Amino acid sequence: MAIELILNGEPTQLDAPGSARLLDVLREHGHTVGVKEGCGEGECGACTVLIDDVPACSCLMFAGQANGHRVDTIESLSQGEPHPLMDAIVDAAGVQCGFCTPGIVLSAKSLLDNNPKPTREEVQVALSGNLCRCTGYHRIIDAVQSVAKNSQAKTRRP
Amino acid sequence: MTAKGKKKQATGKATKKVQKKVQKKTANTKKVTEKVTKPGKKIAVKTTEPKVVTKAATRPDFAVVGKSPRRLDGPGKTTGAATYVDDLRVADCLVGYILTSPCANARVKSIDVSKARAFPGVHAVVTAENFPGDNQVGVVKLDQPLVVSDRIRWYGDRIALIAAIDRPTALRAAALVELDVETLPSVHDPLEALADDAPRVHTEGNLAAKMVVRKGDFAEALKQADVVIERLYSTGHQEHAYLETNGILAELQPDGGMLLRGSMQCPFYVQKIVARVLQVPHSKVRAVQTTTGGGFGGKEDYPSEPAACAAILAKVTGRPVKVIYKRDEDIARSSKRHATKIKHILAAKKDGTLLGAKAEVYVDAGAYLGLSAIVAERANASAGGTYVVPHVEVDTYTVYTNNPFGGAFRGFGAPQVSFALESQMDLLAKELGRDPLELRLQNALHKGSLSPTNERLRDEPQATQTMEIARDRCGWDKRRKAVAVHNATDRYNKKGIGAASISYGCCLHAGGQHLEGSASLVQVHPDASVSVAIGGAEIGQGAYQVMALLAAESLGLPVENIRVLDTDTSLVPDSGPTVASRTTVMSGNAVLDATAQITQRMLAVAAKHLETDLKHISLRAGQVLIDGKKSKLSVAELIALCFTQKVNLTASGWYAPPRKQWDRETGTGQGYSVYCYATMVAEVTVDTVTGLVTVDKVTAVHDIGQAIFRAGVEGQIHGGVVQGLGYAIMENLVVQDGKILNPGFTDYLIPTSMDIPEIDIALIEEPYDRGPYGGKGIGEPSLIPVAPAIANAVANALDLRLYDLPLTPERVKMAWDARELAEN
Repeated sequence: MAIELILNGEPTQLDAPGSARLLDVLREHGHTVGVKEGCGEGECGACTVLIDDVPACSCLMFAGQANGHRVDTIESLSQGEPHPLMDAIVDAAGVQCGFCTPGIVLSAKSLLDNNPKPTREEVQVALSGNLCRCTGYHRIIDAVQSVAKNSQAKTRRP
Repeated sequence: MTAKGKKKQATGKATKKVQKKVQKKTANTKKVTEKVTKPGKKIAVKTTEPKVVTKAATRPDFAVVGKSPRRLDGPGKTTGAATYVDDLRVADCLVGYILTSPCANARVKSIDVSKARAFPGVHAVVTAENFPGDNQVGVVKLDQPLVVSDRIRWYGDRIALIAAIDRPTALRAAALVELDVETLPSVHDPLEALADDAPRVHTEGNLAAKMVVRKGDFAEALKQADVVIERLYSTGHQEHAYLETNGILAELQPDGGMLLRGSMQCPFYVQKIVARVLQVPHSKVRAVQTTTGGGFGGKEDYPSEPAACAAILAKVTGRPVKVIYKRDEDIARSSKRHATKIKHILAAKKDGTLLGAKAEVYVDAGAYLGLSAIVAERANASAGGTYVVPHVEVDTYTVYTNNPFGGAFRGFGAPQVSFALESQMDLLAKELGRDPLELRLQNALHKGSLSPTNERLRDEPQATQTMEIARDRCGWDKRRKAVAVHNATDRYNKKGIGAASISYGCCLHAGGQHLEGSASLVQVHPDASVSVAIGGAEIGQGAYQVMALLAAESLGLPVENIRVLDTDTSLVPDSGPTVASRTTVMSGNAVLDATAQITQRMLAVAAKHLETDLKHISLRAGQVLIDGKKSKLSVAELIALCFTQKVNLTASGWYAPPRKQWDRETGTGQGYSVYCYATMVAEVTVDTVTGLVTVDKVTAVHDIGQAIFRAGVEGQIHGGVVQGLGYAIMENLVVQDGKILNPGFTDYLIPTSMDIPEIDIALIEEPYDRGPYGGKGIGEPSLIPVAPAIANAVANALDLRLYDLPLTPERVKMAWDARELAEN
């Protein structure tokens, strides 16, 4: 079927079986390979995308379910000026093998969009659907908090 | 050794002397980088910046080494631009699928693939019958068929290799393979497998390898002993759970050779096995590591197998073939941390002095040897730990079973044995009414002592220091009292604190020293950018960043000028695997060997240009210095000058450590090049109603030589602690009659962001004279003490010891309830 969606801000038509996994369609037809498959059962969060700004595991979605929706992958945050979370995670040494990182950036972005000043606990909860086997999470959490802090500092300034 | 190198070493010595002197004067003014703790609510945990405890009051003044510049591979990984193997797009690529066995032990009567082969979209089905190459593989021993012919030995055995236009087609074809087998009785426990009447996994018997340690006379220790502690321990399999599954892309080359790109920890193993299977020379097989989504040992030997399968299919079809595992396939087929059974006996005097340690270690190899005997070697060497033990007797049995096969996994045999020994130390302390950390301090290796494997240690052991710092830093005495007070009043939630201490032999064991050499290739370009190739692999740990820092420091250039190339067998010769926490030392020294050659040539040009003597010139942070002061020449200008003068600024480097004297018969002598010491203290809360263990805090003290990439050291410790926590209390691979029942993240649980403890790190930086700028390894020492420290904390909380890892809620609850029942 022809799936019409707004992919990373661009109106896009993808020709794929509606029953295909959104993950596969994005990787094979959408050329957005920043979406990773880690487990295929919604446990690891490496395939996280934002559907109308809400994080979702694209391995658990049919491509047809994306029809008529906005879908944002990590590539959307890399266009032009990179999202501050990306710099912050590198600066905080929250990246090791990197396979989980795109999903984590998207989950964290969604958190900050909805809760610009999260507590450490709230960050932990927001990232609890994203497995990372390398870093032990602390520096990723630090990075999210540093972005929250910096953006507040920015908005506070006249 | 180059002139530059000699000079450096001499300066190093001089500095050390000065440092020692100053150290005496200023013993209490250690350099301390304190600590930013962030307040958090209840479950929120904090971390602190690592404290640096250097014995030397004056630290070497490095331009970049020891600092934390942002990782050069960071931006690509955060933006999604980094290319992992499944992100590679190649025209006409076929999907390779591997059909594995439906049973644990069987005789194959027939394999009929005619229907599968005829299925539309299928390009090839390869079985043992039509295997176009050498079908026998194995990293240490060629005991394994790539595709089985007459005998199945475990669920991961390969029945057929299928190449098809896509995965659904391959899966449908696989369903059409008709396999007729006669199932055989199987064996799934290493102790049972050693019985005379046990089913034989291989015709020559189930004992795959045996190794020993014989130091002193353990019978004598028993004679003198006032206390003897004897217990049986068991540890389960652990799954690596790297986030990226195994994957490989094989492309046939015009000359009949093969290009392999994929997720791997040792491209040289892939090269060797594929060359063997295809029966072509090594020179025609090129293995290139793509960005790799974690390894932890799991991608040391195993990737060679899917690589060989993909290569065979590419050869048969003449088209590129990509094999990408789904998670359940990856867990079901790849190696695991070995399940073990360990009988450990500790003999001591009543004043706490250790007299002897005796261990019988049974290592479940699975159906093929793989790396098991090598892993067992480290287990064998670890049974006496970091203590002075006069009499040591260890027997380590590596045993074939019909279980999933064991392989390399961060710690490499040491975590299992350390769990047993460190539990024993706490039991001994309890028996003697002693403080467990104080008992460890009493017995810790010290300068000039003989190790449990009878090695006169060359470098001063930092065992005592790690213990003392851990004790002071976590407030050991105060916390011990506090948990006792808490437990007297809280009926349901019990708190506990426990310690564990280890020494870890960095780099390969003497038994493998014929493999212990590593190479590099460094090319300085006319624009002062630099390409560095090493034989070690970047699996997330930050190896490339370490190499960039070393090269930058040595060449006097900014880190941003350095690019570390994907590890590639066509760039450097066989450098061994990325294991044994050896990459910083081995590849690092190889890089410095190359950069020393290049800087020597650059310095000669600079001296002539600046009309001064060579000895006055040095390079630092982009500047050519004369007697430590900026000259008119920048390093970039010097490099350009070298090119105009046709000076070669490319060099290959090599490092091999001095030969170790080691006796295989007794398992004694110089086991390793150098040792890393670590002590951890874990604090836990145990819910006695559910049996759930929560790890509240881990204090980790590591002796690391010199931090090269400081944030990377910390990252390794954080990751090691959390992975070790998983091993200790969560990660329960259920293997029933050889079949893994939970091959997925839904029911094989690894720690999430909700499970992490507060982690407090302290580093001891006493430079290792043979390490790159003093560096040693950190990857594995960061995991090994975690599980025993947690187990000891749980025992402290419940006043009840568990002998089997992992300490799942079920196990804890059952043990607790059993005791309650017995007491009431």
